[in-house]
Amino acid sequence: MKKKVLSLMLVASMAASLLAGCGGSDEGQSGGGETGGTAGTTGTEAAGGETASGEKLTVWCWDPAFNIYSMEEAGKVYQQTHPDFELEVVETPWQDVQTKLTTAATSGDLSTLPDIILMQDNAFQKNVISYPDAFLDLTSSGIDYSQFAAGKVAYSTVEGKNYGVPFDNGAVIACYRTDILEQAGYTVDDLTDIDWDRYIEIGKDVLDKTGKPLLSCQAGESDVIMMMLQSAGASLFDADGNPNMVGNDVLVKIMETYAALKTSGVLIEVNDWDQYVGSITSETVAGTINGCWIMASIQTAEDQSGKWAITNMPSLVGVDGATNYSNNGGSSWAVTANCQNPELAYDFLASTFAGSVEFYETILPSSGALATYAPAGDSDVYNQPSEFFGGEPVFAKIVEFSTKIPSNNTGVYYYEARDAIATAITNVVAGSDIDAELQTAQDTVEFQMAQ
Amino acid sequence: MTNKVTNALQYIFLTIVSLFSVFPLVWMVIAATNTSVDVTRGRMIPGTHFLENLKNLIAAQDLWGCMWNSFKYALMLTILSLLICSLAGYGFEIYHDKAKDFTMSVILLAMMVPFVATMIPLFQMFSKAGLLNTTAGFILPTISTPFMIMLFRQSARSFPHDIIEAARIDGLNELQIFFRMFVPTMRSTYAAAMTITFMNAWNNYLWPKVIMTNDSSKTMPMLVANLKEGYVTDYGMLMVAVLLCTLPTVIIFFLLQKSFAEGITGAVK
Amino acid sequence: MDKVENVTGEKKRRKMSMSKRHNLTGWIFLAPATIMIAIMSFVPMVQALLLSFKKGVGAKLEWAGLFNYTRMFQDAVFMQSLKNTFLYLIIQVPIMLILALILASILNKKDLKFKGLFRTMIFLPCATSLVSYATIFRSLFAVDGLVNTVLIKLGILNTGYSFLTQPTSARIIIIIALVWRWTGYNMVFYLSGLQNIEYSVYEAAKIDGASPIQTFFKITVPLLKPTILLTAIMSTNGTLQLFDESVNLTGGGPANTTITMSHYIYNMSFKYVPNFGYAAAMSFLIFVLVAVLAFFQMKVGDKRDE
Repeated sequence: MKKKVLSLMLVASMAASLLAGCGGSDEGQSGGGETGGTAGTTGTEAAGGETASGEKLTVWCWDPAFNIYSMEEAGKVYQQTHPDFELEVVETPWQDVQTKLTTAATSGDLSTLPDIILMQDNAFQKNVISYPDAFLDLTSSGIDYSQFAAGKVAYSTVEGKNYGVPFDNGAVIACYRTDILEQAGYTVDDLTDIDWDRYIEIGKDVLDKTGKPLLSCQAGESDVIMMMLQSAGASLFDADGNPNMVGNDVLVKIMETYAALKTSGVLIEVNDWDQYVGSITSETVAGTINGCWIMASIQTAEDQSGKWAITNMPSLVGVDGATNYSNNGGSSWAVTANCQNPELAYDFLASTFAGSVEFYETILPSSGALATYAPAGDSDVYNQPSEFFGGEPVFAKIVEFSTKIPSNNTGVYYYEARDAIATAITNVVAGSDIDAELQTAQDTVEFQMAQ
Repeated sequence: MTNKVTNALQYIFLTIVSLFSVFPLVWMVIAATNTSVDVTRGRMIPGTHFLENLKNLIAAQDLWGCMWNSFKYALMLTILSLLICSLAGYGFEIYHDKAKDFTMSVILLAMMVPFVATMIPLFQMFSKAGLLNTTAGFILPTISTPFMIMLFRQSARSFPHDIIEAARIDGLNELQIFFRMFVPTMRSTYAAAMTITFMNAWNNYLWPKVIMTNDSSKTMPMLVANLKEGYVTDYGMLMVAVLLCTLPTVIIFFLLQKSFAEGITGAVK
Repeated sequence: MDKVENVTGEKKRRKMSMSKRHNLTGWIFLAPATIMIAIMSFVPMVQALLLSFKKGVGAKLEWAGLFNYTRMFQDAVFMQSLKNTFLYLIIQVPIMLILALILASILNKKDLKFKGLFRTMIFLPCATSLVSYATIFRSLFAVDGLVNTVLIKLGILNTGYSFLTQPTSARIIIIIALVWRWTGYNMVFYLSGLQNIEYSVYEAAKIDGASPIQTFFKITVPLLKPTILLTAIMSTNGTLQLFDESVNLTGGGPANTTITMSHYIYNMSFKYVPNFGYAAAMSFLIFVLVAVLAFFQMKVGDKRDE
């Protein structure tokens, strides 16, 4: 028992010193340095964002196989000409990037941010409008925006100013299992340049003959809707940023198409992302439609190599400006206001992500990171055939798709609108009236905008 | 005879509840031994890829670093929290009067606002104090919780007062009574509090993700989040990480649950 | 039963003579914890309260009086989340606490075999990582998941039912998930509380011929009252701030029929255009609701002498 008391006393004194240390560091600046013991070890390098003004840049991004890899390769490329250059990539999931950014910017303390962050294109408008002081205007930073697809640049352009360096491509592709299509008597060509009516027709036939739907998606998410919307160059907001749902003919057509897909059984809804990937890899479905980055997930099913083919997505029927091309996902690099050496950040980005074809040639083979940097698209590397996708030069195909994507208006209130539309489509599929649901969705978004 | 039936029913009931309870964990263990594709295909048979998944995980993430951080943060927090909160709970109950009961009610209010709302001001405070990326930064917000204080206050209610008075007559001071009489007697309460505090600290996610901004201070739940974020998720690897993230709490509970069997009687009389 | 009452009667605390010194000692004992709570919780809470009277986008805020507080009652999604959360509270908390009590009293029996194993297994759910627990619940209730397979085999269903995309079944699944996850957690407190009840009380009851059910209601429940109060307040608080299940199991869907208040507040802070003033105001509604409920629970359950 004595021992126990002793150990507890020890702990008490530790607690006391901890409390004292915490009080002291209000004035002292060395972070946890004074708190003694374990706290001190990491304390001195507190706040990853506080980079010295030297030749070092800190970056937050999230996918080791993809954007982290690309960033690190870019660092190596830049080091060849700038031997003193240092790059620190901190693996930070997108959700965390958003949380950290919001917390730091709202509390008015940007010192915790790194120099460069990777931002989801869909969140760009929202973040720049909410926290204009947190990002640097890149318009005159020496980055040549004419080399990027206009639709891509639009995501990170706010009030005429460029805030992002475009990175990965989210061009929509339709992927099909050629062996399953064959059983039903179809080839990929039969599904190329078609519209949704024909898609449903073929889909029903494939379902009858093979028992496999053509498409799966996550219930309660509106990815498919948003892809359809952009394929016709339509948006949920008008040019002034007001919600444009009620009386939006394209949206009505999309709702009808989606409901038809669902009721015909050609589209099945699953509960989450894991099940969505599972439905593809376990052959529950005969195809999928998504941003081109979905290829990486499909390719995890190595035993299906050679059985897949890629083509463009179906177009909307009876809609002005309908195309077979769209975009889903993608991200761009932003430079934060906490960057102590903006010239270095600009030069780094301009000479890698926005200026080096060799760099894109390096990262493509192992990461599949498709550029939105147009000059890279002409590179030979993009014409390499892909064994997994039936020996086709898929990268060149996708680059070609991406030049044809109509641009649309994400809107500052993108996520609000997206959720409202997801609610609407859920109810429509359950039998509600489309116009009434669109009215509710518009009301919801207008309510949220009126703060 | 009826006794036997009740007995059998008890075991059946417990077995059913237990099976339901462990099912996801079993699934997790199985998933950890399979390849990613097999996991997405819903394979429910143990595979042979555990070591490979583990190797991939170690190659992809700073597993030991995150483990060490999580242990460091959770242990420090548990020890300090137990000390501070049990002292307070004891104080609230043993020396209770109107003012202290009222203070207790006020303290309870502290847990009733969702953390999302107080996080930004708290972040400002910690950032100014230079506590980002530190152990102190991790533990200070949850070192004293209304829950733990109340747990010890409620438990102290069954602590026999004659023991205190006898100890006072023996010449022990109040702090000695707390450490020599109360702490050993309330072993089962400490065991429960320890398990729960450790678990909450270990699984804490929102706060660390705001204040930990470099790789060297990341925790296990942050590591698991990293694995889920890429365009492609390696589910086999993810499940190994999730398993490693779950085990410490389970082991601690298993070791401590024995003290639930030793009642107050053995310790005091 | 006379004897039982005698023993419990003896347990009633004797009035302590509270000298001023002891009173002071009490304050010193609770000072560290109280000061920490004041700094780490009450200071930020006051700041959040001030924030709740402001409006604006991002970091540009201006005073708005009670705007946010009146606004939330016109917010259809928030009202829906309020309803959902209360539904969970009313159904889930009683089921969970009663189940936990029953399990704890069985697992407290002296002659029970494999006690440690049972206890650990039943405790497991709350320690199981959210990632795997959410994944498995979603796959269990998938259209081609295990639950549907079993129901079809038993002839109850003809085709797979999409549990998570129908409002009623999705809510039931959230409640099942909550009971599954937190029963073992609450059981821990009852188990530890039961240790403070002297075993002789039970033996006396047994000699008096009390049935297990009588023992449960006449001894276990009254003596565990302080602990039951604790778990009731904590569960009320936890459920009104429920977040994980709504986000991870159903994503708040289908069509917001399972979304909770905390989930909506989180969206308002980190998913949508950040509106921290409004998020803070909604948080304070939760605060008021929990405080009122806890107040009644304390009134009913925190009397020292009965």
